[in-house]
Amino acid sequence: MKRRMIAGSMTALMVVLALGMGVAVQADDVVELTFMGWEASPLETQAVEDGIAAFEAQYPNIKVNYTPGLAGSEYNAKLLSSAAAGSLPDVMFVSSESYREFAAKGVLMELTDLFDDNYSLDDFIESSQTIMSIDGHVYGVSACTVSPIVYYNRDVFDAAGIDYPSADPANCWTIDEFREVAKQLTTDDIYGVYGLESVADTLNAQILSNGGTRYTDDFMHSTMNSPEVKEVLETIKAVRTEDGSAPDASTLDAVGMSAKQMLQTGKVAMLVDGSWSLQELAASGMNIGMAPLPSYGEVLTTGQAHLHAIASTTEHPEEAWQFLQFLSGMDYQGALVKTGLWMPNRYSMYEDAAVEQWYDESVHGDSYRQMLDYFMNAKVDPSALQLATQARDILIEETDMFFKMDQDIDVTVENLDTRIDAAIQDAVAQ
Amino acid sequence: MKTKKKGRLRDDSRWAWAMLLPNIVGFIMFMVVPVVATFVLSFTKYDMLTPPKFVGVQNYIDMATDPIVWQVTGNTLLYTLLTVPVGMCISLLLAVMLDQKIAFRRFYRAAFFLPAITSMVVVAIVWQWIYNPDYGILNYFLSIFGIKGPKWLLDTRTSLVSLAIVGIWKSAGYNMLIFLSGLQGISTTYYEAAELDGAGKWAQFRYITVPMLKPTTFFIFVMSMIGSFQVFDQVMLMTKGGPGRSSSVLVHYLYQNAFQYFKLGYACAIAYLLFFIIMAITLFNMRMEKNMREIY
Repeated sequence: MKRRMIAGSMTALMVVLALGMGVAVQADDVVELTFMGWEASPLETQAVEDGIAAFEAQYPNIKVNYTPGLAGSEYNAKLLSSAAAGSLPDVMFVSSESYREFAAKGVLMELTDLFDDNYSLDDFIESSQTIMSIDGHVYGVSACTVSPIVYYNRDVFDAAGIDYPSADPANCWTIDEFREVAKQLTTDDIYGVYGLESVADTLNAQILSNGGTRYTDDFMHSTMNSPEVKEVLETIKAVRTEDGSAPDASTLDAVGMSAKQMLQTGKVAMLVDGSWSLQELAASGMNIGMAPLPSYGEVLTTGQAHLHAIASTTEHPEEAWQFLQFLSGMDYQGALVKTGLWMPNRYSMYEDAAVEQWYDESVHGDSYRQMLDYFMNAKVDPSALQLATQARDILIEETDMFFKMDQDIDVTVENLDTRIDAAIQDAVAQ
Repeated sequence: MKTKKKGRLRDDSRWAWAMLLPNIVGFIMFMVVPVVATFVLSFTKYDMLTPPKFVGVQNYIDMATDPIVWQVTGNTLLYTLLTVPVGMCISLLLAVMLDQKIAFRRFYRAAFFLPAITSMVVVAIVWQWIYNPDYGILNYFLSIFGIKGPKWLLDTRTSLVSLAIVGIWKSAGYNMLIFLSGLQGISTTYYEAAELDGAGKWAQFRYITVPMLKPTTFFIFVMSMIGSFQVFDQVMLMTKGGPGRSSSVLVHYLYQNAFQYFKLGYACAIAYLLFFIIMAITLFNMRMEKNMREIY
């Protein structure tokens, strides 16, 4: 009896194991890829998930598990700890600021041959080309391009009886005209402008427009101690302290309302922010307009964007490349461009026929048509090519001391150069 | 007979080890190994992406000459000095008040304990609103008395104090609860005898409550001290160490080096600096407590 019971149990166990193996074999047919990105907005995550669903429908043998991560430096922290634990995702977003450091440390799979077989680097706009190519090698494919621009609330302009800024870069405001309008728009309840002091993405464009630079040509030294950079920093500060037309930096975030929400609710008349904000602003249904940044001399904006890359440790390079191609294709990139989150990063997508495929009047309005060359010819953001990610924190710390605590301008730029140079030496020596 | 007892003991100890095994394995894996690994890594240059390189005591030398390490150590000490004594006094005051027979005593106890069980993320959002220089309730309250409030989190002179206030507010209820249990352990006969001798309330507090609460006070003091040195979450959530580096603390700088600047070896050295500071202060506290015990 006992033996029979044991035999019965063994048989049952074998059946279960066999069934399990069957499932495993079936599961082996489907390759599972892990994919990690960040969430700039819930709309972006939704767009990525929609894209993945479309990809999986096209490639039923590949399943993509998407993990939306934290944004900014916390995203890097997550990637670093995943790398240390040997659990890097197969495919991932890599910020342009950390792309060079990750590539140098062998985290990213080299894609040069695969890329050359399928794409022409020359089709990518100059800023994307410069970011992607590291000494002629490609380790990630530029996802899109994004640039700082000016958003304005048309209702606030109408109420004040002030003409809208021109969307044509040839007629864009000078910084002095911009300050004057911001002052006129400022009332007890409304600030004329916000975003000039949020250094992350807008400062570099203003420095370049004024003829300044962030780094030497080889990016080994910081070049912030120059009259051009000082003039930009002092002008930005004067908009708040002398003109009274901007709130304290971080005040809006601290109130729990984002700058975009303040623009939507008419508490701020103009917002200097990245072009990615258009998705959220357009979706809100507000009466919005867009214009180029005010000029300090040369009319320009900067361009950069994250890259899609494959981990050097992936066990599924072929499938990962298929997915990466999908992410770089019109189905995916075009859909996100259409929503206003991204701008195209290829010259071919700025040709008239291509523009008609992605341009959406309800999102891009009439402004963007006049700004297409402005985006296409954006100067590469120097932060995207920097050798030390620590430079961003140093920039925030020192400009904080200048903007908020009246640290002397000369001390600020001297500190910036000294500290950033030390960080570069350290990063290069690692 | 003796052998039988020994055998049973051996049997019992086997069972005891077996029962303790999960805990011991967990302790070794998640405490001993990381502590040893951190110590070893503190002598290397390690970016988590490429193999570590042995650099001897270079990280410790770099640390001694890194002005930011000195600044954040100073900030950490200041934060501790602000939070521990004030926080303990407030907790003791609350405990003594809520040990009396007052109406809604249970409600007050729960209300003061609430911050201790509230997520720091929620606390940070609420306090960011409170501290907002333009729209915050704190500056509005001050304006009623004609006082122009500072910029709190946005000013280098007040950012650390603002974080310390949040730290005190969050931990006061928890410490109050421990003080309460200590108070309830003091026999009422001491107070009755003191009353018979004509001692007033203050004298009773000074000569009975405070000495009898010494073990509780010592426990809270050591734990609060350690907690203050390890402060990180409200810094990360509310100021990210800014403006400038005015509110950055040791653990925040450690985190930045490890996970943002690719310098895990250096971060491990900072971790050991923190460890030695906490150990030194705890040993000093223990010695003090021993001396005090001898005096009393």
